Amino acid sequence: MKILGQKLNRRFFLSLFSLSSIAALFPTKVFGISDYRRDKNIPKNYIQNRDRPGFFIRSANPFTGVVTDEWNLSIGGMVENPIELAYEDLFGFKTISQVSRLKCVECWSAKAKWEGFLFQELINKVKPHSKAKYVYFQSADSYYESYTLEELTRPRVLMVLRMNGQPLSKDHGSPLRLIAPFKYGYKNIKYITSIEFSDSRKRNYWANHGPYSVDGTVQPGIDHPLDFKKKPLTINGGEVFHPFDKRPS
Amino acid sequence: MRRLLLAVLALIFICLSCENKKVEQIKVNVPKGITVPEKMVYIPSGDFIMGHRKKPETNKGERVTLEAFFIDRFEVTRKQYNVFNPAHMFNQKKAHFPVSMVTFQQGQDYCRWRNKRLPTEAEWEKSARGTDGRKWPWKIYYEHPNNGFSGFLPEVVDKRNEWISPYGVYGMGYNVWEWTSDWYDSGKSLKIDQKRYKVIRGGLTQTHTTIKFTPTYFRNKMDPKLYFNFIGFRCACSVDR
Repeated sequence: MKILGQKLNRRFFLSLFSLSSIAALFPTKVFGISDYRRDKNIPKNYIQNRDRPGFFIRSANPFTGVVTDEWNLSIGGMVENPIELAYEDLFGFKTISQVSRLKCVECWSAKAKWEGFLFQELINKVKPHSKAKYVYFQSADSYYESYTLEELTRPRVLMVLRMNGQPLSKDHGSPLRLIAPFKYGYKNIKYITSIEFSDSRKRNYWANHGPYSVDGTVQPGIDHPLDFKKKPLTINGGEVFHPFDKRPS
Repeated sequence: MRRLLLAVLALIFICLSCENKKVEQIKVNVPKGITVPEKMVYIPSGDFIMGHRKKPETNKGERVTLEAFFIDRFEVTRKQYNVFNPAHMFNQKKAHFPVSMVTFQQGQDYCRWRNKRLPTEAEWEKSARGTDGRKWPWKIYYEHPNNGFSGFLPEVVDKRNEWISPYGVYGMGYNVWEWTSDWYDSGKSLKIDQKRYKVIRGGLTQTHTTIKFTPTYFRNKMDPKLYFNFIGFRCACSVDR
């Protein structure tokens, strides 16, 4: 016998009462925490870090992507107006585009055209308290990142919806990611699901799991740009511009 | 008896190691009538080797002559800068770390407030390497001890007497990069890039988890309007200010 296309057996009944099944009934929340990991769907041959020509893919956890219809963005913490936004709501903000490099702490960089909106748009909506100097991001792939509020209001920091003329792909953080070109790639969180304003700084994923700093500002050193055959080029620190890159006016 | 002998040998070895880490100082005679301001160093007039002959973006190892000047022995600290600009907050535990997150203009304004100025690039380099053309202020090459962590690691400005310059100046080649008063021109700079960047000197470079000191002639550049955690400054002044 089949119900909703599922064969009725012991496994079906057990799974009906599992946490993941309850999550499926309430797809955007599990006990107040957004969770879009679909670990069961991750293929056995899944490769987490993929050196794709032009733009390498890096992620902290195996993840196959967000279901946009089930996604929402919650913004809260020390704010006057906590809100939840659906994907469509993000297109109500003024869109800006820029070409900038994502500089990975592992030493490569890749360039793309990013389109999105300024973080200031979200500030205007939620009105953070004057003591809220820090912002904590969480993502659908159980990643987390922290910034000072001041950093997020600098020029060329974008909440990104599109990349190279297309909606963000699953590999690059659909439906919403952050691009802060003066920070290493690991700070440019993908699959954002929640944003929390606070008066104290939280640590980020890679400071807790690896040898990388919470701050993550791109330091002076060497870069191996993928669009220059990974040949080593010196960088000054901050946003990376190579001699062949067009600088913003 | 044998143990005692080993202990004595170990002690001698440790003492010799300590001795090796002392940076030989240039003996400077300050002319009569000149008073060296507190926490500044007198750099006498005369020429020095600037740049490296195999580095075309530098002064190529040519000699440059400077008048005598004073330069801060230490980078400006967070506590010192906060007196000038109370809005620039800092963690009390890090009061004696170098100030950072300051633009070129903010550095210049602070120095003017102290009746000083930012050093020129040549003044900075002479203070770092003396007159013998050395690559490292402390003459001998060391691996940076913090290798293995990716991120900027500032230190208290007077911590490293083993890394001082031959004039006794701290923080040249590690800790923060420092604003200088000169515009950056590599000699090949496009016209559009002239007067676009200020020279910054003497910080660390980082490639993944490898952190390196920078040589005394190493030049970096930065848009003067930008501010980062890895850029600070120190002040200088002319003797006859």
